[in-house]
Amino acid sequence: MAFVPFSYNLRSLVVRRTATLLTVLGIGATVAVLAGVLALQQGFATLFVENGRDDVVVFLRQGSTNEGDSVFSLERAQILMKTLPDIERPVDGPPLVSAEMYLAVRREKVGGGETNVPIRGVQQGTFRILGDDIRLLEGRAFAPGVDEVVVGSKLADRIADCRVGDTLVLNTTPFKVVGMFDHSGPFKSEIWGDRDRLAEALERPVFNRVIAKLKDGADLADLKERMESDPQVPCKVMTEREYLGSQTTAFSFVLRVLGAFLAAIMGVAAVFTATNTMLAALAARTNEIGILLSLGFKPWAIFASFLFESLVLGLLGGVVGCLMALPLNGVDTGAMNFQTFTEVAFAFRVTPEVMVVAVSFSLLLGLLGGALPAARAASLRPTQALRRD
Amino acid sequence: MPPLHLVWRNLTKRKARFLLTAGSLAIAIFLLCLLRSLVVALDAGVKAAAADRLIVQSKVSLFVYLPQSYGPKIASVEGVERVMRWNWFGGYYQDPSNFFAQFACDQDELQAIYPEIQLVDGEWDDFLRDRKACIVGEATASKYGFKVGDSVPIIGALFPKTDGTTWDFRVAGIYKSIKKNVDDATLFFHYKYLENALDSGEGSGPAGVGIFVVKMAPGSDRTEVMSRIDALFEQGPQVVQTTTEAEFQAQFVSMIGNVPLFVSSIGGGVMVAILLAALNTMLMAAREQTRDIGVLKALGFGDGVVAGVLLWQSLALCACGGGAGILLAAATEDPVAKMLGTVFPGYEVTSATLWAAAGATLFVGLVAGVGPALRARGLSVIDALRRTG
Repeated sequence: MAFVPFSYNLRSLVVRRTATLLTVLGIGATVAVLAGVLALQQGFATLFVENGRDDVVVFLRQGSTNEGDSVFSLERAQILMKTLPDIERPVDGPPLVSAEMYLAVRREKVGGGETNVPIRGVQQGTFRILGDDIRLLEGRAFAPGVDEVVVGSKLADRIADCRVGDTLVLNTTPFKVVGMFDHSGPFKSEIWGDRDRLAEALERPVFNRVIAKLKDGADLADLKERMESDPQVPCKVMTEREYLGSQTTAFSFVLRVLGAFLAAIMGVAAVFTATNTMLAALAARTNEIGILLSLGFKPWAIFASFLFESLVLGLLGGVVGCLMALPLNGVDTGAMNFQTFTEVAFAFRVTPEVMVVAVSFSLLLGLLGGALPAARAASLRPTQALRRD
Repeated sequence: MPPLHLVWRNLTKRKARFLLTAGSLAIAIFLLCLLRSLVVALDAGVKAAAADRLIVQSKVSLFVYLPQSYGPKIASVEGVERVMRWNWFGGYYQDPSNFFAQFACDQDELQAIYPEIQLVDGEWDDFLRDRKACIVGEATASKYGFKVGDSVPIIGALFPKTDGTTWDFRVAGIYKSIKKNVDDATLFFHYKYLENALDSGEGSGPAGVGIFVVKMAPGSDRTEVMSRIDALFEQGPQVVQTTTEAEFQAQFVSMIGNVPLFVSSIGGGVMVAILLAALNTMLMAAREQTRDIGVLKALGFGDGVVAGVLLWQSLALCACGGGAGILLAAATEDPVAKMLGTVFPGYEVTSATLWAAAGATLFVGLVAGVGPALRARGLSVIDALRRTG
């Protein structure tokens, strides 16, 4: 059981440094593209999932998948808000429940073009439920019953008329922007105002969803089941986390498929390059292989040696690819939430998972790229190898 | 001009390397064509839009409906020849993943306003006569096996049936669009059917009109007609924006946001990867041919010819690889379009895309060839001959 010393391979990578470098960069570019797409997916998904709460429940109309196509009439919303026993109702204050209006409105982007910005008409209950999750950064909160709005922190630089002091016209009514707020999740890409004022300005005398804080010890599974077949207001109940998670499935799926597709196609090209490099290494070292064989190294040792060298190439490529993708971490971008057709701002996230996938992929590329040359090297006979120029 | 047979001999001396490099180039160029075609598909509707059609939509939001009373008012505007109501139905066939668009539209106007919709099977009269009839695009019909006479059950997500059943449409015709602004994936049915169902309580959902499609009278001034319509509803209840069909299509592209940038970045990564692959191969080839270069020079071939041999080698390599990629992209146009099918209609590998790919190929060939060529030019005969391997 004698392996060819690994230092032999490492040295030969250094000797053939141009080819090594080009191959590593080639694998790196492939890995970087994969890591970039995955970082986009991670950023989008964590924005939604990590910032949803488990103690807050969302009520949607049965059969709808998002608040854009969910509708509750005023009466139905009232029934929900007044009668449900599972909702937290403090003795010294109003119940922690709120009916909201939601609409994706057409706004001008700062750089030109149009996009859809979510506008949310909320009742004061929303602030009581979310508490410190909503943080005022600038200005003040909108006054109930007044034509005022507050804007999410991600809108100011991207959307026209979204700075404190600006006036935003909705249909025919001007609204004054009086404050800017922050939230760790998707709310920071939204405009918020008083639900009654917004409903009147937009001529939408309905609610789109009801949210509530669950009472301690409330049975969520039971609530879900009960509401599904409720005779008065049948509706779909999800925790906020479940709801936000469901918003990401379509886009995450598209990104995963895209990432896999690109990785597969570019990966084949990268494997070809690695194979090329290893074949050239083999050609240049045929003599040395002859010597190794005559020294008594077994063919499998030669095979392992070449495969190892190729794996090192892959690993280096993976590291380089991660390094290329790393500057993306934290870079702000926007993407369409296909469910509500609105634009959401978030940052790329090069998470450890992304890097593990990227490096494993690069090792796979190295393995595949090295297989053929290694097999060829192992099948050489000593005399034949030594004779070759 | 260097001796081309020598170029070819050098190129194919190491067959494995030649095939692997050309193969990775082919894959990468194919991928570039594919990516560009996807971006082109986004714009296809904009480019093919008709000049005499206008779209009247809510200025506030894509999701705001216009009052039914707007129809007759728009029809009476000077320069308007025909008006058609048009509603996004937002249903699905059996499962939400079976996506194709369905629109309710005024059946009597459809043929006159959209002459690009041509029936390939079935009869217009049959469609007009039966309230529950529909026409379906060829792509959707072949994907799900719909034939004339079949009943297509659609689950209304936006417009649920009150009794929980499906909306059943009888296929009266299969159409094919002769222009890219209408895809071959849509199902059109009678507006009246939807309207009656909502009135009778058979179904529920938003009562207004999604958009009005206007056909202008010949010779009327587009800008004037647009501002006349907008002026009608300036004071509400719903403010409208009248745009050309091209602008209407362009807004969706704008809303998708960063996608073109995102695709270009991926394209950049692919370019880097193939550049490195080609460069790697050419450097390896050049090193191995050092002695040949010496021999050529000793025989009296000029520096220019010797450099040309390497440059042309690189160009020929890229032409083989890139050419194969371009052929592959052109040959797979139909299958890929079919695969993207009803979800992403409009995939087309345009000649501009193919030319761009040819340009990229040439660029890679030049960049990869220039270094080795210059080195060959500068080598002295003695140095070149002394080198082995």
